[in-house]
Amino acid sequence: MITVTINGTKITFVKPVTILEAARAAGIDIPTLCHHDALKPYGGCRLCLVEIEKVPRLQTSCSQQVSDGMVVRTETEKVVEARRAVLEFLLINHPLDCSHCDKAGECELQDLAVKYGPATGRFAESKRKYPENFEDPLIVRNRERCILCSRCVRMCDDVQGASALCVANRGSKAYVEPFSGGRYDCEYCGNCLSVCPVGAITSRLHRHGYRPWLMEREVATVCSYCGVGCSLVLQVRNNSVVRSVPGTDPGFNKGILCARGRFGYDCVNNGDKLSVPLMRRDGELEPVTWEEAITHIAHRLEEIKRDNGSDAVAGIISGRCTNEDAYVFQKFLRGAIGTNNIDSVAGLAYGPAQRFFERIFGQGVTANYVHGISNSDGIFVIGGDPTAVNPVLGLQIRSAHKKGVPVIVIGYPGGLKRFSKHTFITSSPAETVLLAALVSEVRQMKSFPGERPAFDEIISGLQPVPLKSAAEVGRFGLNELIDMANTLSNMTNPSIIIGRDIVQTSTGHMNLLFLAALAYLLNGKVYLLSELPNEQGLLDMGCQPDMLPSGRPLAIESFRKRCEETLGIVLPSTPGLDYAEMIEAAHVGKIKALYVMGEDAALSLPDTNYVRDALRNIEFLVVQDRFLTETARHADVVLPALSWAEKEGTYTNLERRIQLTRKAVEGEGIEEWKIISEISKILGLDTGYRDVTDVFAEITRISHIYREVTHDHIAGGKCMWPYGGGPLRHDAHIEGVDLPDIISVMKNSEAGGVHVRREAHLFHSQNASRFSPALQSISPEPYVKMSEILADRLSIRSGDYVKVSTEAGSITLAAYRDPCLPENIVLIPPFEKGGIFEVTKWKVNPLINVPVLDGSRATIGE
Amino acid sequence: MALDNKILDEINELKRKYEDERSCLLPALYLFQREYGWLSPEALERVAEILNIPKATVKGVSTFYAMFSHKPMGRHLIQLCTNVACMIMGGERLLDILKGRYGLEPNLTTPDRRFSLVIMECIGACDTAPAMLVDTDLHGNLTEENIIGILERYE
Repeated sequence: MITVTINGTKITFVKPVTILEAARAAGIDIPTLCHHDALKPYGGCRLCLVEIEKVPRLQTSCSQQVSDGMVVRTETEKVVEARRAVLEFLLINHPLDCSHCDKAGECELQDLAVKYGPATGRFAESKRKYPENFEDPLIVRNRERCILCSRCVRMCDDVQGASALCVANRGSKAYVEPFSGGRYDCEYCGNCLSVCPVGAITSRLHRHGYRPWLMEREVATVCSYCGVGCSLVLQVRNNSVVRSVPGTDPGFNKGILCARGRFGYDCVNNGDKLSVPLMRRDGELEPVTWEEAITHIAHRLEEIKRDNGSDAVAGIISGRCTNEDAYVFQKFLRGAIGTNNIDSVAGLAYGPAQRFFERIFGQGVTANYVHGISNSDGIFVIGGDPTAVNPVLGLQIRSAHKKGVPVIVIGYPGGLKRFSKHTFITSSPAETVLLAALVSEVRQMKSFPGERPAFDEIISGLQPVPLKSAAEVGRFGLNELIDMANTLSNMTNPSIIIGRDIVQTSTGHMNLLFLAALAYLLNGKVYLLSELPNEQGLLDMGCQPDMLPSGRPLAIESFRKRCEETLGIVLPSTPGLDYAEMIEAAHVGKIKALYVMGEDAALSLPDTNYVRDALRNIEFLVVQDRFLTETARHADVVLPALSWAEKEGTYTNLERRIQLTRKAVEGEGIEEWKIISEISKILGLDTGYRDVTDVFAEITRISHIYREVTHDHIAGGKCMWPYGGGPLRHDAHIEGVDLPDIISVMKNSEAGGVHVRREAHLFHSQNASRFSPALQSISPEPYVKMSEILADRLSIRSGDYVKVSTEAGSITLAAYRDPCLPENIVLIPPFEKGGIFEVTKWKVNPLINVPVLDGSRATIGE
Repeated sequence: MALDNKILDEINELKRKYEDERSCLLPALYLFQREYGWLSPEALERVAEILNIPKATVKGVSTFYAMFSHKPMGRHLIQLCTNVACMIMGGERLLDILKGRYGLEPNLTTPDRRFSLVIMECIGACDTAPAMLVDTDLHGNLTEENIIGILERYE
């Protein structure tokens, strides 16, 4: 026990803490500038000086730990005098331009100067002069205001791991800048500007437009960019979102955001958003009234249902829709139309992957805490760069790496380049061979856990693949591979992080089996990366062609009957078409009407031309979206929807945590679920919901999983799987898992040529980022990344334009050389124009029904 | 930047010597400065890449130290001392000679890129003050008469 006396108060601690922490625990305020709770002690600003008995000089309380019997005084005359002096030194160069500084009102230096210091210094010499730097599209740097606390640099190095900032030069000539001295070359998390205590690093998005005292309200909500679901606070003025800042409560992102959460909020205010319904008349989309649009949709759907049967109608929903929207949408299609033709973007990778793991390990196997990642003893990443897909989750991997946890990355490491012990990049079939070899290897080192004998049998039945073969197929060094296999075999509770690229391949079903085997043998936790905020929610709400809400298979009659009784409707019993099947059916004219809710199908599926043809082929296409997307341009009716900041609802993140999204501003559209309810009513199914809580109440009635869960309960932030504590399906259905024919994959992967692979892109995720001018401004140009060897052979320098051609099409892109890529791989991100989908041929993996991205060989030319 | 194999070999040698790649940073910067005379942004990027250290970190380190130059230098670097001993012995007067003969002023380079001049605060050669370093050669007991003769040996 450590007992210290601070300002006469005795406090006892079990573990050593700093004096600053001790004082705060005792309710005593010590001023700080360089200290930040997310960062390590630094002791640079000298403001937190305190007097310690028997210690001759004042000490910095942020870095000095308490010891037993210590007597500390925090506000003696000597201390106050020292603080005043420190502030006076800081003001020597600080410009005191508070009147037009964006930080005024929330500036820590300003507050301290008011409390302790003189308003200005006695220093007569002229101040340091630097012009403000506007070279960056999003971040303004003002070196005059900087007090060199280095919070930004430490945040960038220690927490974000981007290490894009440095203190250049030294002494009085020191200043903070990115490598280029102008534009940032970083991840644009903007965490540097949230830790800056003064106005040295500010956002251009609200330049001279933000004053803390003018904000009308702050709304705590959840970010709508990816499946991590970080807590956000939206600051609102004049019905417009002025700024988004990281939320701390319940905030498991702990004051951190990524570029999308920080700067992507401008898609809410985007002036291009739709405000009135549009209907196609004589080939053109023209504004109509809501009543007209809704009646027209209802009548057309009824006609098509009458003439072609219910199954000629289908629905696709976006991962950006809330649970409530999703629930009402599937109820509408099943109850009012009478079809199970419903699927979502989650059906492309996240859903099939989760379904496979739940089949082996039982429901809820992927519901693991994001925070658990940094506590595991090894990390295995495959199928996508987590720092681009789910950036805040990616930080957990970086922090684990810093603790010495071995990180293995299969695939392009992107933001994990400096944070992995082993990296192996190869073609997609070679990845499958590699996984097979790793399972063989780990199998030799580990015994079966014995929890699932049926799975033991399957693993025993797998064809053994020697590492040597995997090294040959994947063109890896054998020694490096052996090294990695040893690292992997030594893990005892690894986090296995799986991205969609491993699922969307011709061998995706095999990859899932091998990964399940690894997870089983290594006692691993499985995390599925999720590109959209509510992919999990869509699955849970039954937006799947063969599943009812709460993950109950449609095929089980007792489940279906219970739903029918609870809701008083009749549910169609034959499974519907999934996303890929719908597109194929539309191609051959089997789908007459397609209702698309928020999803930009034309741009989120491989083979853009094929998908466009399918959309054109649809007799009646309804699109409900915030913007006139590529898909909406093909529509017969377009209905303006609301953004996540304009409505209430819930999202379920990739941990299966349910969180509330709250309304921050008034939108011009109508809530998705409300539009659907109106159409539903005309078709004879009156849902009777008054508001979003009514919808949620019905969801809880239908499924025991959500027993006693309400919006109030969710607001506490602890709504974790399993929600109501109800019984879960633990039973696995391992029987019928096909043993993969790995020999033929090995043969297939030997074919040469250049493989095109997708690169997950931080600023070009899915549709919402397309409507954020800020995110678009960072890296607007599509590109292809290639190895130095390939670039040298074709005499291509970084920045040259090259033509990438496959059997699906050809695009001209700026080339970038990346030394970490192997010769036979090029990477293309999913840009709106010039993206990977334009050069991927439509092909479906029939075993998991997902459109795949592999199989196309590219030729690269000038 | 075409990186000759010699530097790369030397850096690989450094990597063997030190356990941590960060420890190789200062010696690697020295190698580049020796080879190119200064540390261009490209050179810093190259060091960052070879040592797998963030380039901003490399910049922070290299700009902290006065011995690294971040602008192009002449073929030969004159480091002239004007600290106490050298000043007393007439070091400052040598500045006028350099200006008169080559038009060379502190922190600048001659138009023909032959010499760059940096004023040093003691180079540890007080016993032979006034003294200067030309590249890595120490020249002491300088006078207004002999300094040009010494410098003319450097082309």
